[in-house]
Amino acid sequence: MVELSADLGFCTLKNPLIAASGTFGYGEEFLPFFDLNLLGALVMKGIFRKPRPGNPPPRLAETPAGLLNSIGLAGPGSEKLQETIRRLHAKTSTPIIVNVCGEDDNEFEEVAEVFSAMAEVAMLELNISCPNVKRGGACPAQNATHTGRLVKQVKDKISKPLIVKLSPNTADIVAVALAAQEAGADALSLVNTFLALAVDLEKRKPVFANTLAGLSGPAIKPLALKLVWEVCRQVRIPVIGMGGITSGRDVLDYILVGAAAVQIGTVNFCEPRAAVRIIGEIETEMDKLQIKNLSEIRGKLQA
Amino acid sequence: MQDERGRIIEARSLDGDCRLLKITAPLIAAQAKPGNFVMVRVSPSLDPILRRPFGILQSEPPHIWLYFQVRGRGTRLLGSLRSGDSLDILGPLGNTFPELAGNKTLLIAGGRGIVPLFHYAKTYAAQQQLFLLYGGRSAAELHLLEEIKAIPFAKTVIFSEDGSIGQKGLLTAGLEKIIAEQQPQATLSCGPEAMLARLVLMLKPVKTENYASLEALMGCGFGVCHSCVVLAADGSYRKVCDEGPVFPLEGIQWSN
Repeated sequence: MVELSADLGFCTLKNPLIAASGTFGYGEEFLPFFDLNLLGALVMKGIFRKPRPGNPPPRLAETPAGLLNSIGLAGPGSEKLQETIRRLHAKTSTPIIVNVCGEDDNEFEEVAEVFSAMAEVAMLELNISCPNVKRGGACPAQNATHTGRLVKQVKDKISKPLIVKLSPNTADIVAVALAAQEAGADALSLVNTFLALAVDLEKRKPVFANTLAGLSGPAIKPLALKLVWEVCRQVRIPVIGMGGITSGRDVLDYILVGAAAVQIGTVNFCEPRAAVRIIGEIETEMDKLQIKNLSEIRGKLQA
Repeated sequence: MQDERGRIIEARSLDGDCRLLKITAPLIAAQAKPGNFVMVRVSPSLDPILRRPFGILQSEPPHIWLYFQVRGRGTRLLGSLRSGDSLDILGPLGNTFPELAGNKTLLIAGGRGIVPLFHYAKTYAAQQQLFLLYGGRSAAELHLLEEIKAIPFAKTVIFSEDGSIGQKGLLTAGLEKIIAEQQPQATLSCGPEAMLARLVLMLKPVKTENYASLEALMGCGFGVCHSCVVLAADGSYRKVCDEGPVFPLEGIQWSN
């Protein structure tokens, strides 16, 4: 028997698998597929104060073993999401994480306060890294100073644990991670999508109205794994790793480089029951590797 | 909605690089209604990562039929599968054609747009008076004619752009005549966007109830990724996968 629990310091998840924001809808969409209580936790699709229509189509393009998206955080606004969360909470005891977005720092703070006040919400994930909000992909997580200031501003106003979601689209992700940690982040999640470009050769134009989009899926796994490894070596707060996970072995790779837990994203689109399969595979792999507990390998990469 | 392992029991190659697959998928077949679609995993590998949406041509439990043209990577992979091969299918997905007020309905199919309308006709031909306006580029791209003959349509009109079968021209050229002759109370259409955009203009003066089944680039097919949006007449985005694929024809902003 292996022990799957994942220690985040401020709480323990029953297993390390968390459904990633933007790939799991508002949880309810997956109720026909499996018992959400099987998940370590789930993250709601990112939310702003007001409803957002999202970007003009096309909103996705495929690339070998990967996916570019430019959804633009379409969503119902924070009031509607509160209702959804209450409904979902009545159906599952899995920790619900709200992915907090903002056009500016004050909106981040305001949205965070709203959801921090909800008993049904376990923790918040501060989405300072979406590349599809501003043209050109700019986001607070590209800058350590901005990240520190924003995390502190939000952290001062909330009582719930705060996960800060980092962007790979910065020259020094470790500096941003340290700034978030110093400002009071309880955990980090990384990475959000990689800024990428798809072009239409016939029209000689970018595929996406926003020009740039975010790349996810198995194609980015080695890139994301490297960044998670680099950050894990430098921070003392727990790190939730993500990027291209599609198997139990992928999960253990992230644990090995130091992640305390992981998120699965793109795979939810093509395989709605992926989480259930992957949790099963983690157990099988741990058995094979003769590991009884994730902490036995967490951060044990010999490099 | 079922996540089912289907098995191909017949794979037919048709002219114009089209394919007709008969698939055993009992759970999906038992639930499929005209208008529904499925998301098919075209490869067991992670490349391509996304499933592909396909309308359901026909459903007779335990079988469903898919009909498509090989156009890109996904359809090429699916089109290379043979009888005996298995594949993951998610469905039935999306809404269905609504219950219509009258019982005289005109089906307007452009090319592979025949798919959901064929399903509709197979299901309702005994209860409604159905007319079919079916057009495509050439005889090589207009399939299922034998199967269509077996459905008791009150009237069938075929158009081809090159005149190789039926009347020559775009099917919209035959619209006014069939409406004047048959006086349908509703139209259901599916086909290229240019055809649907033309239809909305042509049907404006006619007092028919009009619905169209739409196609879109889809990520998940069950409402999660928000990729497959279309711009509605009210300026909002609608997801084709779970708010459609069937919409009131006038409810969509067509780029004319």
